[in-house]
Amino acid sequence: MATKPDTIFRALDRKAAAVTEFTMRQYRTKLSTWVVLITGFLIISLLLLFYVDGMQKEYESIDNDGDSYDWDGDGYPTGQERLYGTDPRSEDSHPGLLDPPVEPDPPEKWIDEDDFDWESTPGAGQTISVGHDDDGDCDREDRTESQKDSNDNGIPCDIVLEGPRVGMEESGFTVDADSFVDEDPDDAAYAKEAIHRASILAIGKLGFVFIIGIFVPLFLATGLIRDEMSSGTMHYMLSKPIARTEVFLYRILGYLGIVWPYLAILVFISALVTGLAGPSDSFFRFSEFGIWLSVLFAAMLATLVYGMLFCFFGVLWRYGVILAIPFAAWELGMALLSMGMPDASILRFSVIGWSLTIIDSAAMLVWPDLDLFVQMGTWGGDGDGTGLFGSSIEGAVPLSYFSSKPGLGNIGPFLSMLIASLVLIVQAAGLWLIGGLLFKGKEIE
Amino acid sequence: MMPDFDQSGLPQTKEWVPEAKAPVILLENVSKTYGRIHALTGITLALSGGVTGILGMNGAGKSTLFKILMGKIKPSSGQVRLFGTDPWKNPAPYARVGFVPEHEKMYDWMTAHDFISTFARLNGLTRDEAKIEADRVLDFVGLLDVAHKQIGRFSKGMRQRTKIAHALVNDPELIILDEPLQGCDPLARTTIMNVIRELGRMGRTVIVSSHILHEIERITEQIVILHYGRLLALGNLHAIREKLDNIPHRIDIGTNNPKQLAKSIIEIDSVHGIFFPKGDNLSIQTHNLGSFHSQLPKAIIESGQRVESIDNPDDDLESILGYLTGGGRM
Repeated sequence: MATKPDTIFRALDRKAAAVTEFTMRQYRTKLSTWVVLITGFLIISLLLLFYVDGMQKEYESIDNDGDSYDWDGDGYPTGQERLYGTDPRSEDSHPGLLDPPVEPDPPEKWIDEDDFDWESTPGAGQTISVGHDDDGDCDREDRTESQKDSNDNGIPCDIVLEGPRVGMEESGFTVDADSFVDEDPDDAAYAKEAIHRASILAIGKLGFVFIIGIFVPLFLATGLIRDEMSSGTMHYMLSKPIARTEVFLYRILGYLGIVWPYLAILVFISALVTGLAGPSDSFFRFSEFGIWLSVLFAAMLATLVYGMLFCFFGVLWRYGVILAIPFAAWELGMALLSMGMPDASILRFSVIGWSLTIIDSAAMLVWPDLDLFVQMGTWGGDGDGTGLFGSSIEGAVPLSYFSSKPGLGNIGPFLSMLIASLVLIVQAAGLWLIGGLLFKGKEIE
Repeated sequence: MMPDFDQSGLPQTKEWVPEAKAPVILLENVSKTYGRIHALTGITLALSGGVTGILGMNGAGKSTLFKILMGKIKPSSGQVRLFGTDPWKNPAPYARVGFVPEHEKMYDWMTAHDFISTFARLNGLTRDEAKIEADRVLDFVGLLDVAHKQIGRFSKGMRQRTKIAHALVNDPELIILDEPLQGCDPLARTTIMNVIRELGRMGRTVIVSSHILHEIERITEQIVILHYGRLLALGNLHAIREKLDNIPHRIDIGTNNPKQLAKSIIEIDSVHGIFFPKGDNLSIQTHNLGSFHSQLPKAIIESGQRVESIDNPDDDLESILGYLTGGGRM
């Protein structure tokens, strides 16, 4: 038997694999495990159901600039009359009287006819010119040059995007548009896309990292050591030549052996649902697997840290769950704060702040236009700057709430993700050390 | 609640080697207090080889002693050494120790074979080695035929034997059994006693605790008596017994015809007096218990009477404790 060389794997196969396997099998025999896992599944399913419902809904396309109306009743919508230079307010003046006469357009043609043409995002300290007057109502012959260039940047019929000042990157950029440029965007398409993205971020951040991330460890990890100590079965394990810190670690590994595959399955289901139901020209939105991978990764690290913490609470005190409740409240507060103020330094004293940084970083990579997209929606086609037509488009407010920049300063998404992951791993290792030391000093009756 | 930073139970980088010539168990002036309660007071004890019975009433400190030996709790003062190593600081000696805890709770969802082979891997055995080892120890305690049944379906005796089998993995030199006979039916008791005696014959150091004198007597002669956390007596049970034999003892015999039986029994030299407390009962007083017991069967056969019960109300731990502590019932 002992003739095989003693590799690291074979050495680990003994104690570590034995305790890990044992822990996983023990979970499977407990009804409470299944109740917790099924509840988590139902919560995520419910969130996905809300999402699918949101995707099925028909969003109303608004005629933001009002040029689909035929004010004078001559059969020609205002936009068409303006294009041909006739008087939209006079029944006796319309393109049908021109030579050759022009057929009237159906009014729908003048809804959403001037969509966003924003190609790039301004960097810090940058000012760029975007936009195109698709329907020609800015660049009309009857308008003066100063009317065409109401934002005074020397270019007629454009939109000026002014980046944040250097050193204030978090503040976002401002929009200054010439009148009647991009003033009637496709609200329905925007709303669907925005709600799709906002839902992915909401399900990922609140559904997976917060709800699943805290409650699954709360119910599954708190008793990892505590239950064995109180029932007396810990004696079987501890009468073997194994250090208690090892037991602590291997029990956590067993817990992860249940929780991580479970998370992977749930995330995969969510990715399938949002990939199929999301607005797309093709059959499936493959590009968003990236953001779901980051959700999985963030949730895995969160369940690791929370698992260590709650297991430690269980060793610390028989009623460790009570310690976990204020902690969960703190984490909820931090989760909400991170959506509004991702760079608040107090977030660094939480687990969830770091976990959400991972998702935010991935969102930056998967949707490079996210920032621009949010700004479009909140600006909402307010073409003439009067606030008369434009207001934020449906979906823009939730998206701007659930998306935030990774709050680690201007270091780029990759580095943010790396730092956040490392911090979470260090947190887990620290909790293992503290929990292990406490367990080691614990007298077991 | 503060962690004990002194303790260094890290995974061992080099093989743990027991100290040469160190006794298997060495306790020096070990005390354990819980607040004002003295669970153990100044225990000094060295044991190597053979079967030793730890006798004591409930709450005498037997389990506390075992928990200290197994590194589960830390002594308030004094030194504990297992093979020369402090078990609170280093779990390595447990490679040579098997422990049968008193707790009844087991992993009911596992089969006996599963339970033992899983935990055998904590002794550093591979999966395959552990399975072979599980078969071996289950065979030793006579449970091989039910090895693949769930522990939850086992009788009390089978559960105890499973716990013993679990402790025998890796062929330990020291086996500690905390009340292994408690709650077992007579057949299971006999089996477990045989297993313990067999381990003693194999040269292992075995420590068995019990609060019932007869049980220990059937297993071993070497005993340690704990009383209120103090070590009251240590040595050969017979030596203690002999002293007890010279003071009057009562023996109750249940029979249909006490008077006929009394006629034969009065012939025995060591009988001091006979009483008839109830119609189907007689009570005998003797100065020499050992001698009386050796002649009693012959007298019963001679009388030709059916005997339903023989009870020895004084011959229990309480009597011995009473005698040893100078008060008591004798």
